[in-house]
Amino acid sequence: MRILTSWRYPGNWPIFRFDDRLLLILMAAIVGNFSGLASVALNRSLVMMSEWLHHFRHYWWVFVLPAVGAALSSLFLEKVVNEGAGHGVPEVIYSVSRYGGLLRFRSSFSRLISSCLTIGTGGSAGPEAPVVISGAAIGSNIAKYFSLNDRQRVTLVGCGAAGAISSIFNAPIAGMVFAIEVIVGEWKSVNIVPIAIASVAGTEISRLLQGNQIPFSHHLFNIDLLNIFACLGLAVLSAAASILLTRMLRSMHTVSHKVSAPVWIRAAMGGCAVGVIGLFLPVVLGEGYHTVKILIEGEYGQVLAVLALASFAKIAATALTLGWGGSGGIFAPCLVIGSLVGVTYHHLLALFWPSASWVNEGYYALLGMAGLISGMLQAPLTGIFLIIEITGGWEVILPLIIVSAVTTTLCHYFEPASYYLKDLVEHGHLLRPGTDARVLSDLNVPELIEKDCIIVNQNMLLRDFIAIIKKSHRNFFPVEDDKTGHFLGIIHLDDIRPYLFDPVMYDAVILGQIMNTQVEVVHPDDDLLDVARKMDMKGLFSMPVVVNNRFLGLISKATILDQYRKELMVQTSH
Amino acid sequence: MENQMENRLLHIFRNNPFGRETLLQSLYFCNKVGASPVIYIPKTTKFLMYFDNDVVQVDLDKSYLISPETAIQRATELVEQGGISARFLDPKHFTASTLPDIHTNFDYMCCPRSISDMSSKIGLGYIGPRVRRIVRSARFPVLITSPVYKEWKSISVFFGGSANAIKALRLGFHIARASGIQLDVFTQTEKFSKKDYQQMIKDRNLEEEMDLYVKQWHFFENRVFEENLYDVPHDALVILGAFGHGVIRNFVFGSKMEKIQSTISNNLLIAGPNYTTIR
Repeated sequence: MRILTSWRYPGNWPIFRFDDRLLLILMAAIVGNFSGLASVALNRSLVMMSEWLHHFRHYWWVFVLPAVGAALSSLFLEKVVNEGAGHGVPEVIYSVSRYGGLLRFRSSFSRLISSCLTIGTGGSAGPEAPVVISGAAIGSNIAKYFSLNDRQRVTLVGCGAAGAISSIFNAPIAGMVFAIEVIVGEWKSVNIVPIAIASVAGTEISRLLQGNQIPFSHHLFNIDLLNIFACLGLAVLSAAASILLTRMLRSMHTVSHKVSAPVWIRAAMGGCAVGVIGLFLPVVLGEGYHTVKILIEGEYGQVLAVLALASFAKIAATALTLGWGGSGGIFAPCLVIGSLVGVTYHHLLALFWPSASWVNEGYYALLGMAGLISGMLQAPLTGIFLIIEITGGWEVILPLIIVSAVTTTLCHYFEPASYYLKDLVEHGHLLRPGTDARVLSDLNVPELIEKDCIIVNQNMLLRDFIAIIKKSHRNFFPVEDDKTGHFLGIIHLDDIRPYLFDPVMYDAVILGQIMNTQVEVVHPDDDLLDVARKMDMKGLFSMPVVVNNRFLGLISKATILDQYRKELMVQTSH
Repeated sequence: MENQMENRLLHIFRNNPFGRETLLQSLYFCNKVGASPVIYIPKTTKFLMYFDNDVVQVDLDKSYLISPETAIQRATELVEQGGISARFLDPKHFTASTLPDIHTNFDYMCCPRSISDMSSKIGLGYIGPRVRRIVRSARFPVLITSPVYKEWKSISVFFGGSANAIKALRLGFHIARASGIQLDVFTQTEKFSKKDYQQMIKDRNLEEEMDLYVKQWHFFENRVFEENLYDVPHDALVILGAFGHGVIRNFVFGSKMEKIQSTISNNLLIAGPNYTTIR
């Protein structure tokens, strides 16, 4: 029994007492393997489903397939596992920000199944976000099982995300960078080492089960200065496409919620619309890796107008799929839209400057992919490393950096938060470690209440009050009703200053006459961030904490600052 | 002069006759121990509770959402009849748009035996999985009410010597102090003798509180624990520790909490393994 108990608490094993980083590295390897397996499972399931449904593609009713898939996916999430739709990455970031990375166990498999139903039947979404939440939930639940602390749990959540992305793209560096840049948001060695280990573990699992192949074939491009300058225009076009996709996703979400129908019907409506678009432009269906491959090869062979239309159609299809309740992520659609935008841009260049020596259109497809990923995620490093790893194209790194940096900057100007973070930022839920909001969110009003106050009543004479002041080191004195005990107001030392040097007034003034009754009060459930904001706005140094008309104590700026510093040191010390 | 922080009890209100009974139990408990009820009237069938090392999704059955327009009024009426001012919880944070987070910074929580399943399943011998998860993870004790409103006139604490039983005993002292009712302590003597149990109390420096708050310490000599439970007063609030042992040990040797909750219909106040003493 003791052996079993000690197994639950590996942090107590002698080897890990020496340095808990070793513990994290061991756990990271385990998490990386499991999240890698989850990715492979989703990947294989999508391939199987796509092969099975291929036989039905020539029927006239094929457009209902995405509708059926999206409806089943929505029903599964709503009725079977009781989770809301969506790709789930904001949920992971929210949990990391606010609750030390606690995620439900059901999240480790629910999105795998729902996204398989959506994408496998032709919905325009990607499998990457579902594997990210799955990997993150695996990391969180392993940390929970072994009773690791919040900091360690957040790292393992990052490990799960890294292992999943590394595995699905066979791209360990991109997985690692994505986890740190997007999920954890903290570049520290204590995170980087375990996340790197998890990336390696996830990649190795993928290579073991699916072979070591880069997803898209590698090409050599002869890049001159002209083509490097030209990528600035592509960055602008990518930024426009990113902003359009972001806004369409959100507007579709808003519109769908105005339809008074069950969520699965709404998902089916979105899926049906995608199916209809797919009848005319099959490029919009599914995750679209095959399309990306063709575009990089330069074999798509369509005219400019068709390419532009396909870019727009893919944006609309993705918004219809995800905005109306389908399950999946935006990673793969970004790659498809980016490559379409890139090739469209190449055609535009060739149209306006036909005599210039432009590189093969595959080069612009790569840059477009990096641009869309960077623009949507506002995570330039993830965009750069992902494209390099999935195409093996290290020679395009300079234009990749330019496109990623410019697209991110332009998108940030129009959309200050990325697609993943927009809702979190709007609701004040993005609390990165070491930031003001995060420090304050980790403190609460009850732990900051100062209770050593002397309570007086409204009928007390000034003379008696002065005697009390002599014994006290405080400037604020709460006043309570002597019959009901209800809080009535507060007296500051400044309030009695006019009477202090006039002994005649000592027996003529009672506290009820001079107390301040228009007092801003705090409730123990209030957010400290709101309390601090209120103090700043109104220039207050102390506020009474009152509940059910009863005074509990004072909360002061000095105590907040004191605890703030301690909390900040805890958050930034490792 | 120093004020104590008020103790708060979280109550999830169900707007039907069964929910009324449960709320009445909560209000009676609050009146007895001087706690304030904080009532949550759900607007969705699910919510999340984030604990220190676990997140519990509570999937409520549809009966919790009956007639939302009358829920606040009915709850307010019941609370005010109990002489307490009603305070309602409005979730501030949401994990997803239809998934509110209910904070866990409470001193007690009141649950029926099952919170996620159909009312027909509620009965002795069945504590729902969500209620179990909450008891396991919470820092606060959970008040599991009897199906019908029942005032309690005495307090019985089960003490078996484990770390969790010590927590339950401390909780008993707190409730005794707050309510002014002395405790009956019940111990099933198994592998230890009476002297051993008394020594445990001495080792934990609880002798003084035992003298102060305990009316009588009953030792069950009969080997069949369920038979002994007849001696527990029918109108007692029963306080006990739970989930102090691992799953395997409980599977092999059985769990005292399961035996108690499936045998007696009293109100139960359960302290889980993460329970920390009330402030």
